[in-house]
Amino acid sequence: MDLFYADKSINQEISWAALLEDLNKTSVYNTYCYKAEFYEIFKHIIQSLLLNEELIVLDNDFSETELYNILGDVDLDTYTRPLNKHQVLKITSKEELLKRITAVNKNWKITLFTSGTTGLPKKVSHSFKSITRFVKYNNDTQVNWGFAFNPTHMAGLQVFFQALLNGNSLFRLFGIEKQLILSKISEYSITNISATPTFYRMLLPLDAVYDSVKRLTFGGEKFDKNIWGQLKKSFPNAKFNNIYASTEVGSLLVSSGDVFSIKPELNSLVKIVDNELIIHNSLLGEIDRSDSDWYHTNDLVEVINDNTNQFRFVSRKNEMINVGGYKVNPYEVEQVVLDIKGINQVRIYTKSNSILGNIICCEIVSENKNLTESDIRKILRSKLQEYKIPRFITFVNEIAMTRTGKIKRH
Amino acid sequence: MEAIKHIINTVLKNNGKKEVQTINEETLLRDDLGFDSFELAELTVRIEAQFDVDIFEEGLITKVGEILDKVNQE
Repeated sequence: MDLFYADKSINQEISWAALLEDLNKTSVYNTYCYKAEFYEIFKHIIQSLLLNEELIVLDNDFSETELYNILGDVDLDTYTRPLNKHQVLKITSKEELLKRITAVNKNWKITLFTSGTTGLPKKVSHSFKSITRFVKYNNDTQVNWGFAFNPTHMAGLQVFFQALLNGNSLFRLFGIEKQLILSKISEYSITNISATPTFYRMLLPLDAVYDSVKRLTFGGEKFDKNIWGQLKKSFPNAKFNNIYASTEVGSLLVSSGDVFSIKPELNSLVKIVDNELIIHNSLLGEIDRSDSDWYHTNDLVEVINDNTNQFRFVSRKNEMINVGGYKVNPYEVEQVVLDIKGINQVRIYTKSNSILGNIICCEIVSENKNLTESDIRKILRSKLQEYKIPRFITFVNEIAMTRTGKIKRH
Repeated sequence: MEAIKHIINTVLKNNGKKEVQTINEETLLRDDLGFDSFELAELTVRIEAQFDVDIFEEGLITKVGEILDKVNQE
């Protein structure tokens, strides 16, 4: 069977033929995609492409509060509308489907949300051109992708489009148990996996060999040399890649270790100024930005060789915290904690962590002496996405400040 | 063992999961207790706060017994 997508955790296998059948049944469309099942999300993206309609993808774990803050509305079903007669789909083959997808109109756009620096998630829109800029066409349908990212985030979309436009199969590895992940890699002869260092770290220790895997890609977090060493033994046929990407740009740079270089064709569009990586606007999706022609990534680098443009990522300029590949804005978390009754002051700070890279911690000054850590965690679970929740909360009499009166983050 | 059990139950409770009555050295963190990466990370912070040892520093461990070994080494 020519599989489009499989999710063993819910015993789901969808062939390309079944996908076509589902697509041809489309009778309604909603601009908002707020769904849990990965297949439903993928199908919705394809529908938007075929119908040439805008799509706004939302994390399924956004709480009502978060949705309201972003969209000003929570009842997204009311945006469902029937299709016009001429929009009804009649696609007869996988080849026709792929052809129609790549012929998508210039006006199509996909919008997603990333942690913004102001506290609210920031809206980023991409055209078909900008979201597929780095898709490699390989004419090899024997590629089976292990899908190890959240499908509503940039990295997940990049893997999805890479697989879709090449007619490859996708197998869910994200958010499922280690043993199931490992058994699926063998069972489905998975050839490519792209994931965060945290994802790979959770697979260790490994005692078997997975020789079907040809490529392992790392992204979203700082490079971790230790994991490479440990993974090499279990994935003897895999080439290793480290990728630098962001929601604003997509995948931009690829390296076979922690040293990156800027390709000659990008030389005039990607620069290092004051040790910060900056990117020309022409490479970006559509975002609210200043009039400047250059986008400041806030990613600080260390130049190793000026002549060859080689550099390494060192740290971030702003206060965003990278938790297992997800960027968290401490101000957003602080605000939500402060909204809890009885809490007067809050300090969100980060501790380095051997599993997630960083972990979010929180100090609280509270006038309600009966308030416990687990009470607060319970409230936060209903208001924040899982990765934004402080994992270690302490009650203090006063909040530590830096000498300039700012809250200490480290 | 009691101290470790207490920390494990704190993590379970904080994440809205059912606390466990008993654990032993063979109890598996992921397969038996169902810890995901966020919960394992939380476990490390709590053990570090109490025992001043990073249990995952030298790679991933899977069993409660391995936590005890690390804590007792200190």
